[in-house]
Amino acid sequence: MTRTSRFARSYAIAVVGVAFATIGGLLARDHVTIADQAMLFLPAILVAALGGRGPSLAAAALSVGAFDFFFVPPRFTFAVSDMRSLITFVVMFVVGTAIGTLVARLRAAEEASREREHRTAALLAFTRDAAAATDVAGVEAAIVSHVRGVVDAVARVEVPDHGAVTLHGPVAIRLEGEPALSPDQHAFLEAVAHQGGVAIGRLQLATAARDAALRAKAEELRSALLSSVSHDLRTPLAAITGMATSLRERTAGDNEELDTIIAEAQRLSRLLTNLLSITKVESGAEPRREWVPLEEIVGSVLVRLEDELADHPVEVGLPAGALARIDPILVEQLLLNVLDNAAKHTAAGTPIDIRVSREPDAAVIEIADRGPGLPPGPRAQVFDKFFRGKTSAAGAGLGLAVCRGIAAAHGGTIEAWPRDGGGARFVARFPDGAPLPEVNEAESAEPDQPEQPALASAS
Amino acid sequence: MIGETILVVEDEAPMRRFLCSALTSHGFRVAEAGTLALAERLATESRPAAVLLDLGMPDGDGLVLLRQLREWSSAPVIVLSARDREDDKVLALDAGADDYLTKPFGTAELLARIRVALRHARGQAVPDDPVITIGPMRIDQARHEVAVDGEPVHLTPIEFRLLALLARHGGKVLTHRQLLHDVWGPRNTHQTHYLRVHMAALRRKIEADPARPRWLITEAGVGYRLRDE
Repeated sequence: MTRTSRFARSYAIAVVGVAFATIGGLLARDHVTIADQAMLFLPAILVAALGGRGPSLAAAALSVGAFDFFFVPPRFTFAVSDMRSLITFVVMFVVGTAIGTLVARLRAAEEASREREHRTAALLAFTRDAAAATDVAGVEAAIVSHVRGVVDAVARVEVPDHGAVTLHGPVAIRLEGEPALSPDQHAFLEAVAHQGGVAIGRLQLATAARDAALRAKAEELRSALLSSVSHDLRTPLAAITGMATSLRERTAGDNEELDTIIAEAQRLSRLLTNLLSITKVESGAEPRREWVPLEEIVGSVLVRLEDELADHPVEVGLPAGALARIDPILVEQLLLNVLDNAAKHTAAGTPIDIRVSREPDAAVIEIADRGPGLPPGPRAQVFDKFFRGKTSAAGAGLGLAVCRGIAAAHGGTIEAWPRDGGGARFVARFPDGAPLPEVNEAESAEPDQPEQPALASAS
Repeated sequence: MIGETILVVEDEAPMRRFLCSALTSHGFRVAEAGTLALAERLATESRPAAVLLDLGMPDGDGLVLLRQLREWSSAPVIVLSARDREDDKVLALDAGADDYLTKPFGTAELLARIRVALRHARGQAVPDDPVITIGPMRIDQARHEVAVDGEPVHLTPIEFRLLALLARHGGKVLTHRQLLHDVWGPRNTHQTHYLRVHMAALRRKIEADPARPRWLITEAGVGYRLRDE
């Protein structure tokens, strides 16, 4: 029923009610007093009041008019002879108005609660549907269908992209044709937007958890595979190296064959390490970064490469105490590969320079040689897997690819440049990515061991 | 040293053969075990002077045997492991292993490690003399004095404690955790970068060329070792 017809009907009821009261009063005129006749109008006002405040006021006014016209002497005029009738009019009007107001208020409250109940039910139904949805599209469909049920408009849902997994904010709901909304409908839409956001957030969290579990599973598989490959290939290598050194020890004088076996087994072992590293780095395993003095890394590599670098004077430029936030094992391997590469590709006797420097938020390691320089072509190709320079030096072309992988895993870079005056320059840059933690020396030192400073001898 | 028994726990037969031949040719007796179960029995029967233990055994984790052994024996245990298994090494060392060898290794390395381990086990490495001499270094623990090539060197208290600790365990690896625990106390065993900074400073003071350390050796991902021969 439309609003207008309901409105008209309420007033019609008011008029009819008053007419009935008037007719009833006229019919019973010989048997009742004028006060009883006045009473007959009250039910009429009451009935009219069910239609709202307007009809009840109208009924009250009509009742006063009809009572005056039909019952108050002189009858059939609006004139009043007795002042007491005026009191009756006022009381009648006041009572009519009061009843009308009260009833109307009651009706409004009842209406509102029914409305609220309806919205709550709708919201509940929506929440149920949204919770049952298995993907974002399902939640959107639930929003569209439930908004149509309450607002009677087609909704478009926009899910803001939150990127990282967080508690999801509300979704945006746009209504086609932008109809005017009552405050209640607005509140309903807001609640749906929030509930929709929560449902989507829950779905995203569930997806993220599932992905994480899958990743962990893959990681587990990878590391199981790696350790099995590592074990299976290294074990024979270890036996070969061991046996060869045993033989070498028992053989007097030079034995080039045995030396070669030992050296080649060592090279194979290094190759294996590179192979495992590139698998590890490329599978996205996080480097274990710590603050490390670069001196320590460089020193460790130079000691390990003592034999390979025996024919090259190595100059090290290193500010004392330069720190880098790196995975020491991986970066040691990066340096080892670049230096090994330099030693292999340059003539004996040519120098190799290692230069370490600090930028405000990064550490830079540069290794420069005086070899034949970079091969023709794009500079970056030397870092491609299995790329091999022109020189006939042995190597699977994996070493520099590992370097690039290791630098990238640190969010850093490694670049190859031609060097002024001939040769190649490899520049690796490692951004810190986090500030140096502050350590309170006084707190860290053990308190219960008083110690005098370790002085040089008094002499 | 002649006649001491070394228990070799290694599942790969060729590797075991190498270890046995290298050890017997240097005067050791060898007890071989290809499984943890056998190793467990041999450990009680043969009373080895030292144990070479491969962590990856087919019938279980070598760490289990190590822990069992540590309940009743102080015989040095040298763990055999691959380069990219640093975590395993640290775990074993912190669980009571004395040292490790990274596969592949040669006889010289193997014998050097065993020598160091046996010397420490016999207590010869910790003489009552408060002065320890390693290479060019003279470390006077009573007077907190250090000299390199006869020249006095000024060390901070922490540097001195680190050097003295490494010297008392001369030739043996000490993990980051062990060093942090002994020098800074049990609450500070995770501040590895702090340890590294002090080690770098110490190295600058005792090494002729800190970029090519001769004595204070970094064991990447594991800890430090003061070479003693």
